[in-house]
Amino acid sequence: MAKNKSLGRWLISGPPLLYLLIFFAIPTLIMAFAAFRFPGDYGGLLPFIDINPESGKNELLIHAGNWQEFLTFENFSRFFEDTIYVELFIKSFWYAGITTLVCLCMSYPLAWLIARSPKKYRDLLILLVILPFWSNFLIRVYAWMIILGPQGYFAMTINQGLALVGIAPIQLMYSHFAVIVVLVYVHLPFMVLPLYANLEKHDVALLDAAQDLGASGWRRFWKITWPLSLPGVWAGSALVFIPALGMFAVPDLLGGTDGMMIGNLIKQQFLDSRDWPFGSVLSIMLTLAVLMMAGLGMMIGRGRQRNAL
Amino acid sequence: MKKLFLALMMAAGVAQAEDVLHIYNWNNYLAPETVKRFEASCKCRVVQDYYGAMEEMLAKLSAGAKGYDIAVPTGFAIPPLMKQNLLQGLDLAKVPNVKNINPAFMNSKFDPGNKYSLPYSFTTTLLGYNQNKLKELGINPDSWSLIFDPVILAKIKGKVTVLDDSREVFAAALMYNGYSANSVNPDELKKAQETIIKAKPYWAAFNGQSYIKELTVGNIWVAHGYSSDMFQAVADAKAAKRPFVVNYGLQKEGNTMSVDSMVVLKNAPRPDLAYKFMNFIAEGKNAADLTNLIGVGNPNLAAVPFVKADIKSIPSVFPDAQAMKKLQQLNALEGKQLRELNKLWTKVKTSK
Amino acid sequence: MHSKQSKWLWAAAIFVYGFLYVPLIIVVAYSFNDSKLNAEWVGFTFKWYGLLLHNEQMLVAARNSLIIAVVTSCCATVLGTLAGLAMHKYKLRILPILVLTPIAIPEILMGVALLIFFVMLNMTLGLVSVTLAHIAFCIGFVAIVVRSRLQGMDEALVEAARDLGASPIQAFRLVTMPLIMPGIIAGALMAFTLSIDDFVITFFTAGAGASTLPLQIYSMIRIAVTPEVNAISTLLMLLTLTLILIASKVAPSALRAK
Repeated sequence: MAKNKSLGRWLISGPPLLYLLIFFAIPTLIMAFAAFRFPGDYGGLLPFIDINPESGKNELLIHAGNWQEFLTFENFSRFFEDTIYVELFIKSFWYAGITTLVCLCMSYPLAWLIARSPKKYRDLLILLVILPFWSNFLIRVYAWMIILGPQGYFAMTINQGLALVGIAPIQLMYSHFAVIVVLVYVHLPFMVLPLYANLEKHDVALLDAAQDLGASGWRRFWKITWPLSLPGVWAGSALVFIPALGMFAVPDLLGGTDGMMIGNLIKQQFLDSRDWPFGSVLSIMLTLAVLMMAGLGMMIGRGRQRNAL
Repeated sequence: MKKLFLALMMAAGVAQAEDVLHIYNWNNYLAPETVKRFEASCKCRVVQDYYGAMEEMLAKLSAGAKGYDIAVPTGFAIPPLMKQNLLQGLDLAKVPNVKNINPAFMNSKFDPGNKYSLPYSFTTTLLGYNQNKLKELGINPDSWSLIFDPVILAKIKGKVTVLDDSREVFAAALMYNGYSANSVNPDELKKAQETIIKAKPYWAAFNGQSYIKELTVGNIWVAHGYSSDMFQAVADAKAAKRPFVVNYGLQKEGNTMSVDSMVVLKNAPRPDLAYKFMNFIAEGKNAADLTNLIGVGNPNLAAVPFVKADIKSIPSVFPDAQAMKKLQQLNALEGKQLRELNKLWTKVKTSK
Repeated sequence: MHSKQSKWLWAAAIFVYGFLYVPLIIVVAYSFNDSKLNAEWVGFTFKWYGLLLHNEQMLVAARNSLIIAVVTSCCATVLGTLAGLAMHKYKLRILPILVLTPIAIPEILMGVALLIFFVMLNMTLGLVSVTLAHIAFCIGFVAIVVRSRLQGMDEALVEAARDLGASPIQAFRLVTMPLIMPGIIAGALMAFTLSIDDFVITFFTAGAGASTLPLQIYSMIRIAVTPEVNAISTLLMLLTLTLILIASKVAPSALRAK
């Protein structure tokens, strides 16, 4: 029986573990190791193996005596040399946080309503949430640029309204507002779907019982629905917050001159300045920050669950 | 099922036996009719893969991607490719049409003796603008002050975009300050950075992606960009019957010029077809197709007679000898210099 | 439920659907717009669809995208569901980190890393390498949703089934799976969406001549994205919807969320 259990354990966790080890962990570790290497003068990394000009053969350049010439902590110290990198981190966390919050507020009622609608419509309603996201990302962002652009109906209506109360027209494109709106837009289904998957299983009988006991709607929500839906809230928040953190296309296209986020900085290291080691350092820092946050979130989540019981 | 599998195998086999030339290129950087003619003449198929930014292509090739025969990098990207041992030495004897190429474009600082590259086309980096608006405001677009002088910028605040490219923006600011576009002198770079930071609040965005459209639609009045893009903006605005005219021109302080060249990659599967292609493109009529399609400058002397007259007469597309003197190609920076520039650029981007 | 509350909920839901669909309406409408600019309405035309029919490169790219997305979502759903189950059932240390990191790590690093890895293995880049990469970053999304669905689920049901003599596989198929089905479906939909729209990782892992739709479209960004792209987006969306509706009709009832 015990043997059976451990076999089951391996059968279940083995395949995803193996896949992620091979096609994610190993490749990524190669690049994470790059954080300790020097960038090549013309891109890539300073090679460990190169052609020896004397013999004309490929030779391993690194050995015990000269490893300092090949490995370094310089890339990490650069991160702390200047406050701008940490500032960019904070800014990105702030943007991603707002995006997550807005997504949550918009998704909850929708997910709730879908979960409570007749069974035969649920799949269709959920499909309708994600359908717009099968068109291309860039095309959707372009559509937003039309909406928010100075000649778009939305911007014109808002500015006409402002003109009525005597306020000068505002620019919607190339602003923080535009970035947040589009970040919310592109991440919305990743909040709705996990929330729906969670809310769908709630026992309506529990709510009816509470109602019978005279609990008000708001109270029923806070005491029963919300605590029960927390796993879904956490899952949705993770799936919105983390990708939003590293986003660079949206700030690039809509952010204007102050749009830079951490994702843009990382992309800049890998492409424009061909500095893979520093790009790796930034990526490692970002990933560690996310993992730490997730760990913290899980601890809080566990504490809450315990309190709730 | 078995039959299907067999059919698939056969299809794959046929695909392999077929002669295919793989070109790694910008989108719309090779006229479709040129491709058709070449395919007919070599009895092979051309497959193009596209990139949206040259740095993407560099990063991908640096990481070891294979399977491409020809790429078309800008001058300063050739040394990085060369130094990383990613290019094949050229045997120009196999490209007799090389005689058509303007000697002024041969033997460049990036590739002395053209051991690896053959000039393909060139663009200038300049300012495109909404002619009606600038006239209305009485602003002259022939100086970089249009995007750097706060006094002028105050009139067009929020209607200006500059390229999202540290090299080009710094080059423009350096030239505006009277320095060389290629300066790596820290003091001069510092001065250029100050110029940029002072001007930044007046700009709408760093935009290297959609300025053609923004200019054509009228959302933006001044855009820093490439001559070929401006050429398209002018044409698009005309075709869409906009109530204004888009125009572009060189700046008196000087401009940068980007010469793109064909290179054969080290692990090219079909170098033989690559040579055929290069020789074919170096023929005047074929080279002219590209200029007629997207309004790029052409380093091919034999192409000039085939170029449409109205394109030939645009000074920023075909600069005369006088204008040519003021054009500078951006140097290939070494890792250290590039990182310093990157630090300055990050400061610019995060400055308030 | 009180009707007052219900009204508010409906208003909120309609607002969100509106938020989701206004941009989509623009995308679809502009595929019929008689202007290359993609900026303002000029007049109705079918010409972009006509042009598209002759744009073999774009059609092949769309087909590639669809193939990759279908295979990715199938594999990622299976692996992600297993990962979700494993994380729920056993106290594992490595798996949760392995599941979360691909979502957290910047795409560009993962793209470069996978490219270097595939080159080291001497693998020919193509649709297969892209699919392998897509599965790697989609597993996490599925696993997280499935796990959240499992949390707080009544274990007694599974135990009861086992007590009644069901084998572990039977218990899973008859009890656990139907219970977590909405989670699995949500995960599969997310994986499909992520795969069909991915640019960065695809760019690095795609081989010569194996382009996808996002790669084609991103390369057009500088020279203006024409309404042809709106047209292919619209068609792809309709095709996907049709495929899913057909799949949900012919799928065995066990696979349906009931």
